[in-house]
Amino acid sequence: MIDRQQRIQALYEISLSIGPKETLEATADNALSGYLQKLNCSVGAIFQRTLEDDGIRYEVTATIPASPYGNDTLRAAIDHLPDTVDEQLSFVTDLPVTGATDNGSHYYLMELPDFGVLVLGKRGGEIDEITRSALKPLNEKLAEACRSQLVEGQLRTERNRFEAVFDAIPEPVANTVIEHGEERVKRVNRTFETTFGYDERTARDRPIDDLINPEVETATDGSPTSLHDGSEPREVRCETADSVGEFLFRRVPVDTPDSREYIHHYVDITSQKQRQEELERYERLVENLPIGVYRTTPGPEGEFRLVNGGLVDILEGTSRDEFQELSVTDIYVDPDERKRFSDQLLEQGSVDGVELRLQTVSGNPVWCEVSGIAVEEHGETVFELALQDITERKERQQQLAVLNRVLRHNLRNAMNVIRGNTSLLSDGIDNEALQAHVTAIEQRVTNLEQLSEKAGTVRSLFDQGREVNVTCDVSELLGELESEFQETHPSATLRIDEFDPVAVWADVRLKMALMELVDNAVVHNDQPEPVVTVSVDASETKPADSWVDISIIDNGPGIPDDERRAIETGKETPLQHGTGLGLWLVYWTVSLLGGEITIDDHPTGTRIILTLPRASGDRSPQAASVDAN
Amino acid sequence: MEITYDSTVDGLRETLASTAGSASVNGILLLATPDAALLSDDFESVLRDLDVPIFGGIFPEILHDGQKKETGAVTVGLPSEPVVTTVSDLSDPETAFRELFDPDLPTRGYETAFVFADTYATTIEAFIEALFRTYSVEMNFVGGGAGTLEAQQPCLFTNEGVIEDAAVVATIPEPMEIGVNHGWQEIAGPFRVTDAEGSTLKALDGKPAFSVYRDVIAEASGETVTEENFFEVAKSYPFGIGRMAAEQIVRDPYSVSDGSMSCFGEMPEGEFVSVLEGDTDSLVGAAQTAHEHALGGESDPEALCVFDCVSRVLYLEDEFDRELAALRSETLPLFGALTIGEIANDGSGHLDYYNKTAVVGALSGK
Repeated sequence: MIDRQQRIQALYEISLSIGPKETLEATADNALSGYLQKLNCSVGAIFQRTLEDDGIRYEVTATIPASPYGNDTLRAAIDHLPDTVDEQLSFVTDLPVTGATDNGSHYYLMELPDFGVLVLGKRGGEIDEITRSALKPLNEKLAEACRSQLVEGQLRTERNRFEAVFDAIPEPVANTVIEHGEERVKRVNRTFETTFGYDERTARDRPIDDLINPEVETATDGSPTSLHDGSEPREVRCETADSVGEFLFRRVPVDTPDSREYIHHYVDITSQKQRQEELERYERLVENLPIGVYRTTPGPEGEFRLVNGGLVDILEGTSRDEFQELSVTDIYVDPDERKRFSDQLLEQGSVDGVELRLQTVSGNPVWCEVSGIAVEEHGETVFELALQDITERKERQQQLAVLNRVLRHNLRNAMNVIRGNTSLLSDGIDNEALQAHVTAIEQRVTNLEQLSEKAGTVRSLFDQGREVNVTCDVSELLGELESEFQETHPSATLRIDEFDPVAVWADVRLKMALMELVDNAVVHNDQPEPVVTVSVDASETKPADSWVDISIIDNGPGIPDDERRAIETGKETPLQHGTGLGLWLVYWTVSLLGGEITIDDHPTGTRIILTLPRASGDRSPQAASVDAN
Repeated sequence: MEITYDSTVDGLRETLASTAGSASVNGILLLATPDAALLSDDFESVLRDLDVPIFGGIFPEILHDGQKKETGAVTVGLPSEPVVTTVSDLSDPETAFRELFDPDLPTRGYETAFVFADTYATTIEAFIEALFRTYSVEMNFVGGGAGTLEAQQPCLFTNEGVIEDAAVVATIPEPMEIGVNHGWQEIAGPFRVTDAEGSTLKALDGKPAFSVYRDVIAEASGETVTEENFFEVAKSYPFGIGRMAAEQIVRDPYSVSDGSMSCFGEMPEGEFVSVLEGDTDSLVGAAQTAHEHALGGESDPEALCVFDCVSRVLYLEDEFDRELAALRSETLPLFGALTIGEIANDGSGHLDYYNKTAVVGALSGK
C-alpha cells in the first residue's frame, strides 16, 4: 500500500526531472528516466504525435529500453497507437489507456496534451489509480516542456540555417545590435575577416564604427549623411585590411523579440568600379576619335545600333539619334554595294580597309575606308565597324594619277618629239660649239625620260601596298645584284662582304631599291674607280634576333645635305629638296617593307643602312623569287 | 559450471589455466580478495594469455561454498561465452556510456549481465542509468562495486589485465532470477536534500546535513554522533531514497566534514531522503527474502551468486553468519563477493546502485 506522503514525494521528485534540456530528445529522455525511477517502472516511452496527409504518426522521442519494439510490454502499448485521424479521435478520448500482457506486465498510455503520448510499463506490479490520476499535471508539464523544446529546436534549426547562410555568403557580412545607443558587432563572417582584417573574436562587442569607417557621402542639401541612415544600398569607400576598397553597402534591420539587430552587407565593387571607369575612358576615347565607330545589323535593311560622334561628323549628321531613323543602306551611294559589303563581311567574318563610296545624311558623296568584324551577340549577328573618311586621299590619288599620266605619257611624247628634232638638228650642224649645245639637249632629254620611268616605278611601288608575305634570301638577292651591276657598270667595283645566310621579309621591291642605291653610288661617284661595298649584319639599332642591317658603302663625295635632310625628315620644302626620285624611291620601298633607312658618314664616303625585318616565320611565308622584272 | 576456490595466487594461476582449457568452459568469472600478486605483470600476463574471455574483480572479501573468505579467489567457469564490454574512464562525465552498449543483445538471447565497477569511480550512477536505459528489464543485472576499503587501485579483471577507474559488463545467455533486499527501516524523515554535490550531502531541509542527522540519531538511540565516532555510529543509520512500491535505495554515509556527509553513491538534490535503522533480524530477514525471491522463479538454477554489501558484515559482525545461513542453499553451490555497493535489478523495476543490500542471483544452466 502506497501512502500519500510517499506518493507526493515521488511525484515531486518526478517533477524535478521535467524541464527543458538541450534538445527535445534530452528533455523527454530525462523526464522518462525520472518517471521510471520514481515509479519503479521497468519500461517507458514518449511518442511525438504528428498529423500528416495520410494519417497520424507517432514517432519515438525517448524510450527505455533503447529498442522498444523488442519489449513485450512496450509493444503491447504501441499497438494501441492509432494510424488514422478517425482512430485518433476515439483514442485520445479514451486516454489514459491501461492494459496488461500475458506475462503479467501492466502498461499505461497517457496523453501529453498537444504533443503526444507517454507510455509506462511495469513488470510484476501496477501503478495504482490514484497515482495515475496524480500524474496528469506532471504529464501536462512534460508536454509543455516538450512543446517548448520543439519550438526551441525549430528556432535553433532556423538559427543554424541562418548562421550557415551567414558564413556561406561570399561577401563581408556583420551582424550588429544597438546597445546603450551604440551599434555593436555581434557576429562577422569569414569574408568580413579576410576583407577588413577583423575576426569574430576581435570584432565582437566593438562599435561597428570602430571597425569600418567609410568615407561619408554628402547629401544633396550639403549635410553629411550617416552610413546608418536608411536601408537602401549605397556606394561607399572603406579601408580594408590591405588597401581601400569600393563597396555597395546595405544595412538591413532585423527585428527580434529582444532587440533590433542589423545585418551589414558589403559587396566589393572595387574591380567593377575600375572596369566601369576604364569603360568610360574607352567610351570617351571612341567618342572623340576622328573616325566613325559604329555597329549595325547585317543586310541591305541593316540598322544602326550604335554610332559615335566621329561617324555623325563624317556623315554630316546632326545627332546620334538621327541614325536610329536611318537604314544603313541610306548611307550608300549604290545600294547594291551595301549588299556586297554585307555579304563579304558575313562570309569572311572580318574586312580590312574596304573602300566604299558612301553619302552623307544630306546626300553628299564621301569616300570611306571601312574595317570591321561580324560578331554574334544575343543570338544575332552584329557588325562592329570603323570608318575613315578618305575622300581627300582619293582626290589626291586622282590628282596623282592624272599627273602621272601627264608625266609619263604627255611628257614622254614631247620628249620623243624633242629627241627627233634634236637628232635632225645635230645632223645639220657642223659647228662643234653648237653641236655641244645639241648634245646637252639630248642628255637633258634622257634625264627627263629616266625621271618619267622612275615616276612610273614609284607608282608601281605603292600599287603593291604594305603587305609582305614573302621572304627573300639575302645571299641570293645580292648575287643577282652583283651580276647586273657588272653588266651595267663594268668599270666600277661591287664588293659583297661575307655574311651568314639570312632571309628578310621582302619582295622584288627590295632588289629595286638596292639597285638604285648601287647605281647612285657609281653614277654620282667622282673617283676614277668607283667602289661600292655591301655588307649584311645583325641590326645594330634594333633587336638583333628580329632585324637585319644591309649596308651600302661607297667611296664617292657623299649625299648632298639637302637631299639627306629631306630623306631623314621625310619631307621636302621648296628650299630643301633632293635632285631626283632615286633616294625617295629607296625610302618609300624600305618603308613599305616595314623597315628603316639610315644615312651615315663613312671614312671612305657614305654609308646607307637598310634595316629590314628578319624572316622569323611569324608570318605565312611564301617562296619568293626575287626578280627585278 | 565449474567453481573453484584457491587460497593463493599461484594456485589461482593453475586453476585459470585448467578452467580455460576445459571443454565445457567458454568464459571465466573471477572474484578475488586483495593480493599484491594479482597486480603483478606475471599475473596480468596470465590474464592476457587466456583464450577465453575473463571478467571479474577484487573485493574486500569473497564468498565460496557458503563461506566468506578474507583471502584467495573464486574461479567460475561459465558454459557460454560472455560478451564483455569494458568501460574505461568511468570518472569522466563526458563518456557517452550508452554508445558503448549493444542494444540488440537481448534479442540475440543474452539474458543476464554481471556488472562490476571501480567503487571509487565518480560516475557509477550515470553508468548504471545508461545500462538501464539501454536494456531496461530485458536483462537481469547483478554485481557491485569492486576495490578495497583502503584506497583506489586496479580492481577489475579483463583479458587486457587488471584495470581501475573502469567497469566491466559481461552478458551471458543463461537466465538468472534475482532477489534484492536490505531490511533497513525508516525511522525519521523524509528530509528534502536542499544542497548536495555528487555523493556529498550538504544540507537537509535547508539545514546542515550533519546537524539534522545528529539530531535524528540522538532522538532515536540516545547516542551522540560526532566526527570522531561517525563511521562506527553511521553504519547503523544509513539514508534511504524513496521509490514507490519498492524498498528504498540505501545510501551509506561514511565520513563527515564541515557539516557535510560523504556517502557511497549520489545524493540527488531536490529529492527526499529518510534515515533508516536496522537490526540483525531485519537484515537477516531481508537476506532470506532475497534468497527466496531468487529461488522463486520457474527456472532450474545451478548455483547461487551472492553480492552482499561489506558494510553489512561490519554491522552484523559475528551475526553475519546468520545472514550467510539465510543466503545459503543446501543443494546449490554459492559463490560471490562482499562488495562496496551493489548493482542489481530484480527483473521488475528500475536498475539501481545500492548500499548495504543483499543481492542473490539464482543462475541457471544452459
